[in-house]
Amino acid sequence: MPIGAGYAEAIGHHGELVQGLFEDDGVQMRRALVSLPCRQLRSKVRFTPNSSDQLIVMPASREKAKRAAELTVNAFGRPGTGANLEIDSNIPLSRGMGSSTADVLASILAVLDWLGIEAASHDVMQIAVSAETACDSTLFRQQAVLFAHRDGVVMEAFRRPLPPIDFISIDTTPGATVDTLEFATARYDQLEIESFRPLRGLLRTAIKSADARMLGRVATASARINERFLPKPRLAEIETIGVRFDAIGIQVAHSGTVVGLMFDAMDQKASENIKRATAALKQSGFEPAVFRH
Amino acid sequence: MSTRALMRKLEDFEGPRLVPLGGDLYGASFFLMKLLPARFMLERATERGLLRPGGTVCESSSGTFGLALAMLAVQHGYKLILVSDWALDRHLHRRLIELGAEVTIVDRPALTGGLQQARLDRLQEYLQEASGSFWPSQYYNSDNPLSYGKVAEQFVDRLGKVDCLVGPVGSGGSMSGTSRYLRTLFPDLYAIGVDTPNSVLFGQPSGKLNLSGLGGNILPTNVDHSQFDEVHWLVPAEAFHATHDLHRKHGLFMGPTSGAAYRVAQWWSRNNPGKTVVALFPDEGHRYAETVYDEKWLEKITGWSELPKASPLAVGTPRAPMSGWSRFAWGRRSFDDVLGQAND
Ligand SMILES: Cc1ncc(COP(=O)(O)O)c(C=O)c1O
Repeated sequence: MPIGAGYAEAIGHHGELVQGLFEDDGVQMRRALVSLPCRQLRSKVRFTPNSSDQLIVMPASREKAKRAAELTVNAFGRPGTGANLEIDSNIPLSRGMGSSTADVLASILAVLDWLGIEAASHDVMQIAVSAETACDSTLFRQQAVLFAHRDGVVMEAFRRPLPPIDFISIDTTPGATVDTLEFATARYDQLEIESFRPLRGLLRTAIKSADARMLGRVATASARINERFLPKPRLAEIETIGVRFDAIGIQVAHSGTVVGLMFDAMDQKASENIKRATAALKQSGFEPAVFRH
Repeated sequence: MSTRALMRKLEDFEGPRLVPLGGDLYGASFFLMKLLPARFMLERATERGLLRPGGTVCESSSGTFGLALAMLAVQHGYKLILVSDWALDRHLHRRLIELGAEVTIVDRPALTGGLQQARLDRLQEYLQEASGSFWPSQYYNSDNPLSYGKVAEQFVDRLGKVDCLVGPVGSGGSMSGTSRYLRTLFPDLYAIGVDTPNSVLFGQPSGKLNLSGLGGNILPTNVDHSQFDEVHWLVPAEAFHATHDLHRKHGLFMGPTSGAAYRVAQWWSRNNPGKTVVALFPDEGHRYAETVYDEKWLEKITGWSELPKASPLAVGTPRAPMSGWSRFAWGRRSFDDVLGQAND
């Protein structure tokens, strides 16, 4: 009987820097995104096998994580292994911040940890997509990727990580939730589809030259294009406050309710600007929270 | 994911090469710019069921758009009928025929709209005769400006922020489309269109045009006037001088509309140091070996022997008579907005 336990963590995100429809090498169009990772948001998973033949997940509502652990056991271990899967996460649920994906990824990684196996990220992604039909790009920490979240494949790997971004998080509809997969997928028109090309071009340049300001422009443009599919109340007001305090852009959860006012973490004045922008947001009745890179 | 009919065999010829021209000025030098909108329009037409495999494409063109269509037609198996006029260069004519295109020459101008209208009238006859044939209609088809997302991508990929875009305006597709895409990222982009006197595109009274690819006697819907911050008009001799400068100073052997864009971009760049400027150079010089690059031919051009002006004359209205390089602050207004004021 196997002994010991496996442990892993995965992080959540604060929505996306970009999300849209992009052409891959085979000139196939795919939906893809670049997540804005948020290291303060984590799902911690412990996988503890026992002598039963039942996999029990806690909290019991995390069905997808359970399914992911089962798929991983079936693919790499002995099918039918009984275990407890304990999930401890501080990622807000159903806000487009990757709580479900983080649970799924951490569960897969916890099983692999117990098995003592290092799997290719592609295989991890494939299991994640089968468990939850979509995934995000938070698994990739060393380099930024444009990730086809419904296919579980990397469309473009950039040579460097994202430049450091500090941001103020604003939930534009506290209380309301968006089921990431129930919300109807965006039907982009031709102008929007073609607009994603220059966005991708600038994304490449921004990452290559570690230019947070350029990244801010990409995120803002993506937020604007997607606004008609899942509008964020009072987005214009947030943007106006951002302009006053030298924010480099806005980014949104394309399948959620949060908006991030982005600041260049390398800019000496960022801290002061964030403080003043936060105060201004509070004055306008928002409930801002600051996240440092 | 969707399945699309793709025509990408010539894709590597679609994009520009970016050439530094001193300071922060770059030339976007195309082999044949029209390959991009032509391919895009044909792909979209097949998607909508307007063009079937082996079908017939009909278009009115005496220039680069016809050539682009002919190259694509050969590569992807379409039949092409082109309606043209006497301005069709004899070498290009031969080349089009070798590419298998059926070329019809119209020689009598229509009562209004000149030869351009006469060509369109003839085209209508062909479209009615050949059932199921597709008319790309580069002047009116919104897929023309839509195709330029790829060009905008290449610019920001190479240069990051672009502050100013300068280019010749014919159908309006390249400048209107590229400016619009760049502005999704850089809303402050300054767009300058280059036209020629006697062209109605930006409000000049209609008259004889001697610079193919630049301006027109009919106003195409693909000119999105609200994209232009500034408009310049160059007479042919000025465009030709600039074309030679571009060749002599930078080694770029381009057509005269490229020269026109170069002249204006260089002037703006000099007055706005530190700003990244891109000028569109739509085609190469080979088609003009016996004209723009021929001293004997040039001697007969009005104003060729004069020293070219170093800067434009600012005009108060686009309707003003223009004898040389002129400019007008268009201010991203609609045609009616500007010409309403001009009439006051
Ligand atoms: C040589 C050349 N330059 C410039 C243009 C103008 O480009 P657009 O039609 O995109 O305005 C054309 C258009 O036919 C052209 O043939």
